[in-house]
Amino acid sequence: MEPLKLQNRQHSGLIASVLVLLRMRLVLIVGGFRRATWRGKVGYLLLVVLILVGMGFAFYLSWQLLKLIRSPEISLLMGDLGQITAALPGFVVTAAFVGLFLTSFGFLLQALYLAGDMDFLLSSPLPIRAVFLAKLLQAVLPNFAFVLLFGLPVLYGLGYVGAYRWLYYPLVLLVLVAVASAAAGLASLIVMLVVRVFPARRIAEVLGLVVGVSSIICSQSGQLANFGDLSPAQTTQAFSALARFNSPLIPMYWSGQGLVAVGTGSWLTGSVLVVATLLVCGGLFMVSLAAAEKMYYSGWAGMQGSLQRKKAPNRVRNRAASGRSRYWSYRLLPQAVQALLKKDLLVLRRDLRNLSQIITPLILGVVYTVMLVRGRANGTEASDAPIWFQDAISSLAVYANVGIAIFVAWMLLNRLGLVAFSQEGPSYWVLKSAPVSERRLLVGKYLLTALPAFVLSGTFFVVISILRQTPTMAFLYGLLALSFCIVGAAGVSLSFGVLGARFDWQDPRKMASGGAGCVGSIAVMGFLGVSFLLFAGPTLIAAGIGWEPWLAQAVGLLLGGLFCLLAAGLPILTLSKRVGAFMET
Amino acid sequence: MNSEPLILTKQLTKSFGDKLAVDQVSLEVVGGEIFGFLGPNGAGKTTTIKMIVGLLQPTAGEVYVAGYDVQAEPLAAKAVKGYVPDTPNLYKKLSGREFLRFVGDLYGMEAARVDRRIEEMHKLFDLSEAIDQTIDSYSHGMQQKTALAAALLHDPKVLVLDEPTVGLDPKSARLIKDILRQMTDRGAAVFLSTHILEIAERMCDRIGIIHQGRLIAVGTMDELRSLSLSQAGTSLEDIFLTLTGGAEYTEIADVLS
Repeated sequence: MEPLKLQNRQHSGLIASVLVLLRMRLVLIVGGFRRATWRGKVGYLLLVVLILVGMGFAFYLSWQLLKLIRSPEISLLMGDLGQITAALPGFVVTAAFVGLFLTSFGFLLQALYLAGDMDFLLSSPLPIRAVFLAKLLQAVLPNFAFVLLFGLPVLYGLGYVGAYRWLYYPLVLLVLVAVASAAAGLASLIVMLVVRVFPARRIAEVLGLVVGVSSIICSQSGQLANFGDLSPAQTTQAFSALARFNSPLIPMYWSGQGLVAVGTGSWLTGSVLVVATLLVCGGLFMVSLAAAEKMYYSGWAGMQGSLQRKKAPNRVRNRAASGRSRYWSYRLLPQAVQALLKKDLLVLRRDLRNLSQIITPLILGVVYTVMLVRGRANGTEASDAPIWFQDAISSLAVYANVGIAIFVAWMLLNRLGLVAFSQEGPSYWVLKSAPVSERRLLVGKYLLTALPAFVLSGTFFVVISILRQTPTMAFLYGLLALSFCIVGAAGVSLSFGVLGARFDWQDPRKMASGGAGCVGSIAVMGFLGVSFLLFAGPTLIAAGIGWEPWLAQAVGLLLGGLFCLLAAGLPILTLSKRVGAFMET
Repeated sequence: MNSEPLILTKQLTKSFGDKLAVDQVSLEVVGGEIFGFLGPNGAGKTTTIKMIVGLLQPTAGEVYVAGYDVQAEPLAAKAVKGYVPDTPNLYKKLSGREFLRFVGDLYGMEAARVDRRIEEMHKLFDLSEAIDQTIDSYSHGMQQKTALAAALLHDPKVLVLDEPTVGLDPKSARLIKDILRQMTDRGAAVFLSTHILEIAERMCDRIGIIHQGRLIAVGTMDELRSLSLSQAGTSLEDIFLTLTGGAEYTEIADVLS
């Protein structure tokens, strides 16, 4: 027995203990790299090279842009932009703080409450503060690297263009480190407060939904904005929004102004502001850290502050009473298939991580619908093209409705079909040990894949057709074509879902195995493209070869319909054996 | 006790690649009997159980449940058995009631009967408070009880349990023992694996010991004693250690203490 050694470790200091924990993380990362395949290793190295190139490019871009902003030509066109460049450091530091705060929140929630190693770490002979510090650093370091990737080139570019003093450069780094620490500390405190009210897992789900939806909205909002129509005055106005960050009411203003002051040689103002920033950030970090650590250790943050909601008793209704209304559906579908479908839809609705994946096609659908409707409103000019070509283009415009609806369906099918079985995860034993045949399981999963895609993309199609005043015949034909496409694509998607099924995942993002997920997604897209061509092709060439529209549509229905029905039956008829062999290893 | 075997395995074998996990295990469990299945970690208990309930396909040999060949008539065999796995992985986003209804539907039960059985089960397992909350808010013990309720929902003739008492409080563990005895009194067969030898000794009518994939001993406590050349009154722990070659660890433990 050597208690002395343990005692030494216990009192060996905070930094040493933090280093022990960080070294463990490093060992895990290095081990992960060593165990990776050659392809993976090359990928990692390429990523590092890309990041370095990206940093260099960002620096060059910032340098050139800032030079351009300061040029007399731009000043003549847009007025003096000096205020904007002066506000840039404040803006970057504020953006870094807000970004690090938001991302650290998610990381810390995971690291403190969902990773499951806190009990082990806190029971080890290490200071509690060291555990917290290590967790904070693990949460903030990757995001900090990201901030450096984009923020540092901009700030250094500014320094280079403005010929700032040398002290400016290390101080930029120091201020960013201080700001990152304050953001992480504050995030840890907020995590403790929020977890007191809501379960950690639920918060993670809501966060996933919010981040997913926000990022897709942000990425697509550019499609709706008409940047090309901006006048120089509007551009100047947009740029001067940056100058608002130069307000003393924004705490990060001190840091930005301080850095600029140091850079331009105003030593007194600069040092006062930078030191003030460092003190405030350091104080915020220490206070947050101490408070968060105390809340966690005392168990305060672990206790649910509000009682869990009880379900209203009227929800617990006797199903036998509603038996009559279900009678017709029992005759259509076997009881087990209905149960499976109902269960999957319930789980899909309740798990917010799924919901964000389902909302994505909706947002994209809306964006492309607006673009399509706007494109039509912009008008079509008279063309010199032959009549048959103009007819074909006109038909194509009608089938653009189907195209958008198919795109929405494709995104949904990727989510639903490719992980139809995988989403069962380790709970698949419930299905496998139940007296339900593999074929019925396939039928249940097929319906789960096809029905939501049909409902959502069908609704889109109806709305777009109304907005674009599509002729009735073209609408009906399009609806039929869309239905057949979904029927077939659901079969293709489910086939890949069966072939790539895996049940050993811990992280829901890894439900779809890489190969099957990627190939499946491309295959479904290819299938939808081919079926779309089979339906639309005869109509597009009808005018050229002198067919009546109804004849072209009938030929399209025959070709496309057969192709889609064949694909729909594919998994149910051929993959039962494969389903029977699930979870065999 | 019924003489007709409700669980019958013949030369049951399972290999994963080169590794032989279960090697020609032949056993039978009759109606009205609780059969305890013991073995060290990695001996092949869970693999055997998974083959009995139809979760794994045997490499060789046969399994019959209530007279149905699990390979040839899997649906009929599955319909008469209930199964509780060692880790109760349930659907976390369903409430206890929704999960039990789902299981009832999978077993083709009528809605009215399912609802009646759910009422009985949640009272029996003291789940009334939690039955309408989602399973992700359940403790391990509550999940274990929900899995057991699901296995009992359709009143199976054969009940297969893999480590059923792990994570349960003494009251719930006692409840399970009582339920199993009631089931066997009604003619059902119970097959359970456990690491807790005291449970096996007190509850089981017969015990099978599996070691390195082979069934090395089967019988009542008296039969096992004679097999291990032990004296009357020898505990199951001693018999188990003698048969599986773990007796030397007792000596090491004595030295360490």
